[in-house]
Amino acid sequence: MKKYDIVVLGGGPGGYIAAIKSSQLGKKVAVVEKDKLGGICLNWGCIPTKTLLSYAKHFQDILRSEDFGIGGIDKSKVYVDIEKMMLKKDETVNKLVSGIHMLFKKNGVDLYNGFGKVIDDHNLDVNGENLSFDNLIIATGSKAYIPNIKGLKESFESGKAINNTGILGLKDKLDTVIVLGNNTYAVEYATFYNAIGTDVTMIFEDKNILPDYDSELSQTLERQLKKSGIKLVNSSDITEVRDDKILVSQKGKEKEFTADKYVVFYGIRPNLSGIENLKLIKDENGFIQTDERLRTNIKNIYAIGDVNGKMPLAHVASFEGVVASENISGIDSKIDYLKIPKVVYSFPEISSVGLTEEEAKLKNINYSIGKFPLSANSMAILKGETSGFVKILADKDMYGEIIGFHIIGNDASNMISEAASVMNLEGTIYDLARVVHPHPTLTEAIVEASLDAIEKPLNI
Amino acid sequence: MKFEFQFPDIGEGIHEGVITKWLVKEGDMIKEGDSVAEVETDKVTTEIPSPKTGKIIELKASNGDTIHVGDVFVVIDTEGSAEEVSSEDKKDTLAEKKEIVEEENAGVVGEVISSSEVIAPSDEKEGNSASENVAGKALATPVARKLAKDLGVDINKVVGSGPNGRVMKEDIIKASKQPSEAEHKEVLDETVKTTVDAKEEKIIVEEEKIERIPLTRIRKTISQKMTQSRFTIPHTTAMDEIDVTQLYEFRKKYKDSLKEEEINLTFMPFIIKATISVLKKMPEFNATLDEENDELILKKFYHIGIATDTDRGLMVPVIRDADRLSIIELAKKVDEVSNSAKNNQIELKDLKGSSFTITNYGSIGGYYGIPIINYPESAILGVGRIVQKPVVKDDEIVKAWILPLSLSYDHRIIDGASGARFLNMMRELLENPEMLLLKA
Repeated sequence: MKKYDIVVLGGGPGGYIAAIKSSQLGKKVAVVEKDKLGGICLNWGCIPTKTLLSYAKHFQDILRSEDFGIGGIDKSKVYVDIEKMMLKKDETVNKLVSGIHMLFKKNGVDLYNGFGKVIDDHNLDVNGENLSFDNLIIATGSKAYIPNIKGLKESFESGKAINNTGILGLKDKLDTVIVLGNNTYAVEYATFYNAIGTDVTMIFEDKNILPDYDSELSQTLERQLKKSGIKLVNSSDITEVRDDKILVSQKGKEKEFTADKYVVFYGIRPNLSGIENLKLIKDENGFIQTDERLRTNIKNIYAIGDVNGKMPLAHVASFEGVVASENISGIDSKIDYLKIPKVVYSFPEISSVGLTEEEAKLKNINYSIGKFPLSANSMAILKGETSGFVKILADKDMYGEIIGFHIIGNDASNMISEAASVMNLEGTIYDLARVVHPHPTLTEAIVEASLDAIEKPLNI
Repeated sequence: MKFEFQFPDIGEGIHEGVITKWLVKEGDMIKEGDSVAEVETDKVTTEIPSPKTGKIIELKASNGDTIHVGDVFVVIDTEGSAEEVSSEDKKDTLAEKKEIVEEENAGVVGEVISSSEVIAPSDEKEGNSASENVAGKALATPVARKLAKDLGVDINKVVGSGPNGRVMKEDIIKASKQPSEAEHKEVLDETVKTTVDAKEEKIIVEEEKIERIPLTRIRKTISQKMTQSRFTIPHTTAMDEIDVTQLYEFRKKYKDSLKEEEINLTFMPFIIKATISVLKKMPEFNATLDEENDELILKKFYHIGIATDTDRGLMVPVIRDADRLSIIELAKKVDEVSNSAKNNQIELKDLKGSSFTITNYGSIGGYYGIPIINYPESAILGVGRIVQKPVVKDDEIVKAWILPLSLSYDHRIIDGASGARFLNMMRELLENPEMLLLKA
């Protein structure tokens, strides 16, 4: 029997960071992982999709090389080699995963490769070995949610319907895909397939894509997606999924769609196998309930990452891992989900932190809006990617504190961290408007948007 | 600019005084806070500090002259003095005054506010408060800073919950809801004021049937001190009866012969002696809770305040280093300080700096009382009237002289058990005078 201060169940972006942090705080730590370190994010999620999207972007750039004064490329001969793309992607993933193994060695974290079965609130069994622990951090992650739609399950079984793991196993380019769902994953894969020349149709129940984002952003993105050739079929109920076609009822009208593959993203459900013996309080979808310190209802048990369903993003899981480790080690720390940025790697990208305008309205906040279009930003113009804007929401009753920050545009993913920094420091639009930004950069638009909320921007 | 310095209200309802000694002469330069003259009142002899910096133009009285509150007695030319007094100097003066207030614990109830304090708040000086002397800048977010300013929260006193103790918006909102210790007094003042206001409304109706008497300075001081003590310190009181029959006999034996030497041997010196002996074993009773720094200040000196009833109100003259005095010396000293308090001959310094206070309401006839601690001390001993009572001793009812003691103490720092132990030790010493002489 091995005794640990902390056992972390799951080695994804939440679990492996929690382990390293705990070890740095002087704890004896073990990680139990049944599959690959890095979890979904590294192996089947963020990293592979972003790798593919980045390649697809290069492909797009090549197709419009003439815009940059580059000649001699015969576009009829340029093609996407999916098999090679996947191999390159695997190289990237393997490099990152082996990096975690190295970090574990360096920080003295013990790794148990096998399925961890929690016996009680102080014991866990892995490969027949008993690990006893003072504290357990559950970081088991999530799996894809398959809703109860007629024929959908069968379609998965036949291989016609696929999700991220299925996509990453494909060796050939698809001519047509139907994307079911309107969340981040759905939008990103629609973007990818569209960019490499596949015909894409998105079918979803809501009126708009990305309902969690500020509606001005999602509506702008919808126009961009349509412009790039993606067909959006909104407000639609899927009546039946069959291998030859999908039957849809859109506002009372029956429609049929066919494609080579159905790419399905209906959100996630928590991975709860192995922790059945713990009497944890969960919500109606099974997500373990946690507080801002990541504590569950059991004193020595914490839950981080997708399994608590708070904000299923890798960087959230990692920071939750830090917060849980600190609290176990006697350091009082909390997570504030309203100050965590999120990104959709569509073309153009969307990034966001804090309240959307709709949420600010609901909360009766007396807010002001500052906006600035990228079409007036010199860096966007010289790169030839001028669609998008920066939108800032500030609380008028709190000295103009920034409460929401939304960007749509090329490289929005890199711009949003500035907003997150300012918001974590409780900064105001007045503070931001006085920060000199280098020229030419896309971030100049942030200053201009702040000025717009106060008085008048200078460059429009 | 000419400044006409009027004889200030130095406290306790003094209306006039005699200039015993000028400490400056016409043409001298004087700094704010320096003394101009020594004035003898019917109460104390005290030095009057100048409220201004400048040149003395005229002294309007001579040695031996009587001056009344409000009389102009010195004219100072303050012209050009602004340059001479750097703001640094001003801050020093303020800081010093603050120290006086904090360090010297003037008697409970009988604090005579030092004259410099009474004079200080002239209109010109307002706003230059010591609190503006901010040493460092608190780590805080922009919003927290602005919010603190608008809500009147001293951001330097707020404990931040952000990274590295950064003060966040929420911390200010919390702090503004709970008045800080520093503001506590203000809130109290406000509370007292509202209560008075409410009462006044009722009183106005029957104005003819009442008499309004303005509070004297000493009464105001008593009122403030009592309120501060009662609302700051959670008081608790332990009471006990002590059989002092042996002590009674002991005292009787020497009382008359000592009287010939003009020494009035009461029970008080024995009680003081016993108290100091116990204080040495239980230092938390001779202490002050430093609320700002969360520290207990144990005092290694034994300055015993003797609460004394005077015509003008309760005063607490102090016997300094009482632990170094014999019973006889204590007897003399008790007589001396209480008489000089009663006869208005006490000096300000003798009303300040006590570390523990004893109040003897027994001399007037009281038995038990719940004394209010002489803030910021940690305890006060109330002494009742010694009476003969029937007690049971060895299964028989016998006569005994009984001394009732009431000990109030600061329950934040002293637990109930300690209060009981204090009185037990007092009993051991006072029941047996020989033990007292051996141990104390």
